[in-house]
Amino acid sequence: MKLWRYPANWHLFRYDDRLLLICMAVVVGICAGLAAIALNRALVSVLGLLHHYRHLWWAFIMPAAGAALSSLFLEKIVNEGAGHGVPEVIYSVSRYGGLIRLRSSFSRLISSCLTIGSGGSAGPEAPVVMSGSAIGSNIARLFNLNDRQRVTLVGCGTAGAIGAIFNAPIAGMVFTMEVILGEWSAVNIIPIAIAAVTGTKVSRLLQGNNIAFSHREFQIALGDIAACVGLAICCAAVSIILTRSLRGMSRRVAVLRLPLWLKAAMGGAIVGLIGIGLPDVLGEGYHTIQHAITGDFRAGLLVATTVLAMKIVATAFTLGWGGSGGIFAPSLFIGSFVGLAYQRALTHLWPTVGWVEEGCFALLGMAGIISGILQAPLTGIFLIVEITGGYDVIVPLTIVAAVSSTACQYVEPASFYLKDLVDKGQLLRPGTDARVLADIRMGELLETDCIPVSPGMRLGEFIPILERSHRNLFPVEDGKNGRFLGIVHLDDVRPYLFKTPLYDAVVLGQLMQTQVETVGPDDDLIDVLDKMDALKKFSLPVVANQRFVGMISKATLLDRYRRELMVQTRTT
Amino acid sequence: MTPKLFHIFRNTPLGRETLLQSLYFCRSIGCLPEIYIPESTRFLMYFENDVTQVDLDGSYLTAPSTSRGHAEALVLESGLKATYLTPKNYTAHGLPDIPTHYDYMCCPRSISDLSSKIGLGHIGPRVRRIVQAARFPVLITSPVFKAWNSITIFFGGSQNALNALRLGLRIARQSGKPLNMFTQIEKGDAETYRKAVADADLLSDWERYGAEWQFFEKGSLEENLYAVAHDALLVLGAYGHGLIKDIMFGSKMERIQSTLPNNLLIAGPKYTAVKG
Repeated sequence: MKLWRYPANWHLFRYDDRLLLICMAVVVGICAGLAAIALNRALVSVLGLLHHYRHLWWAFIMPAAGAALSSLFLEKIVNEGAGHGVPEVIYSVSRYGGLIRLRSSFSRLISSCLTIGSGGSAGPEAPVVMSGSAIGSNIARLFNLNDRQRVTLVGCGTAGAIGAIFNAPIAGMVFTMEVILGEWSAVNIIPIAIAAVTGTKVSRLLQGNNIAFSHREFQIALGDIAACVGLAICCAAVSIILTRSLRGMSRRVAVLRLPLWLKAAMGGAIVGLIGIGLPDVLGEGYHTIQHAITGDFRAGLLVATTVLAMKIVATAFTLGWGGSGGIFAPSLFIGSFVGLAYQRALTHLWPTVGWVEEGCFALLGMAGIISGILQAPLTGIFLIVEITGGYDVIVPLTIVAAVSSTACQYVEPASFYLKDLVDKGQLLRPGTDARVLADIRMGELLETDCIPVSPGMRLGEFIPILERSHRNLFPVEDGKNGRFLGIVHLDDVRPYLFKTPLYDAVVLGQLMQTQVETVGPDDDLIDVLDKMDALKKFSLPVVANQRFVGMISKATLLDRYRRELMVQTRTT
Repeated sequence: MTPKLFHIFRNTPLGRETLLQSLYFCRSIGCLPEIYIPESTRFLMYFENDVTQVDLDGSYLTAPSTSRGHAEALVLESGLKATYLTPKNYTAHGLPDIPTHYDYMCCPRSISDLSSKIGLGHIGPRVRRIVQAARFPVLITSPVFKAWNSITIFFGGSQNALNALRLGLRIARQSGKPLNMFTQIEKGDAETYRKAVADADLLSDWERYGAEWQFFEKGSLEENLYAVAHDALLVLGAYGHGLIKDIMFGSKMERIQSTLPNNLLIAGPKYTAVKG
């Protein structure tokens, strides 16, 4: 055994792995930070390279070509599906202890660079999350860490990547705990915080300590705070429209029988055509967001609303048709324009009221959309605070984020990232019933001490079996081929037990229950438990290939459940 | 519970041979086949500390409308009862998760590379990865169906070889077929290898089920492999060394599989041998 591959066995870490996780978090944070910087630099280069051609008539082809190349790269070279990847990370964390393929550590970086760099409406954050998480997962795999430690490192990768790309360590940490892991545990929080700080530090060292959107002082009055509630409702409505547009577009495109690259190219071409009239909607759109915040977006309310609507359309066409990228940056863009449009509408309606500048509402709108679409209010609050470098809008930010995410939850109970997983029953958050049951296998619960009997067995022959059995259920099997025929319950026999003259007259085939509900050895335990509850049964026979393999009882299941819950909730 | 063998069905003549081999293996040792008829060319297998994406070659999707019928006909002919796997979980659209709780898995030598499907070729990277990560042994079939009438274990004295010996003993017990052992002496003498078996508490089992233990002191491994019966199932441990050593000097398993066209049952480093 190579000792360096098993650091958890080193004397230093054997009894408490917190120091090990902190050391690993630094490594993962550095790698995730470098991945984020690589994508950032690559995007700047590609955008710079193509900038000179944007004014030409054929420029609309560029997003089409980028999306097609991105799709071809994912499908033909790295053999991965399209999409932003965050649900994949959440799925892997909730179901497989954070196991993620090594190729995911670079695949989305390249594909999203092609999509966004060419003008597709998407963001680089989700691909960076995928990359950072895959880095964390594969470092854990290299060092043979267990599931819990691996999940922590996946979180470290996410936090490091978000911290680096936004220069926002707290947002990285909060996003990881709120969205990716879905739990706040003392064991995870320290390494994840360290990874977030490390990733951010790497970014600052290599790119400078730049705030994404320069900070301005806003004088917020009580009326502005009251107006925030209305903005939050608008943000919730737009979040739901955005979520449904993206999902609806993906569903409709999925049924088209066309090559994936062609679909992506078609979506990209439509985005390119939109971009001819409204170039602001192309790419990640940070430059336009900056204009919205600083009040340099001079066009009127109608144009602002049109840009907002077209950004939603462009994002749906980019991501829904097979381009690669995330929804973080488009959400920020859309949020800033919701805020901007809202402030202008307020000014039109009540021109005498001295509303705070539209830049402030743009910031609040960004938090509202992030909180609404991700249903992660803390991420929305801390992200905006960090990327603008100021805490002076914290009160309205909190109101907008809280109201927006709550209102969204009423209409869409699951966030954009979780919707598919929830629909398929694949979201297994820590500490939940489904998660505990998912880690228990039917084989661990099988009770095989049942004595099988045959339908031709006389009652007299059965009595000695009854005497030595500890159970009150007896599977009846066909003597010739072993096929499961039914069950004899002690209650079925009890009326005849003291009627000795019937011992030679009654056979078990006359007493057995043939309409027996059974379960299979590969059935999910949550379904088995539901079946027991629905039938009001305490145990069910397990049958495979028409053969009885054992019994599963609620008592054994719940006993094992309790032990598994203790393992899963153990802190170290 | 009855042990299960996982088989990915390829609806081609080569796939038919592979399924016949799997069914023969199942009949011989009393296990049940679980057959997966793929709907896309890729799937994921989540092992304990690894995830492997298997990229099948396009031939696995040949004539999907006849796949199930072809597989069922072969299963019916064998007299076995097979189950057919329908994936429940998907990591991404078109990327199903295939369970890894099986007792055996059948693979051709390569499942993602058409060029080496007929000749012995090399063991493809995906099959290697499965062997390295799986807790179950992997049955790598001969290109054409051939019944095996004996079992030959390749024993080199390592921990993996001991696992292979345990596996071979189990197969011999379950199938009732004669068991032989092949050892190419590299260090010490025959007694060294006997002692390794005795130290692992397997000597009495070997004496009970084993027929012949062949030791080769002279000649290269490739030369001596001619002594292995043409109709033997070969059982061997794999990837006991590090990657660099294997690249530098070549893996013994690779040398055996590229010389002998027999069926191979490979126990990887994660294989959890059932003792006794």
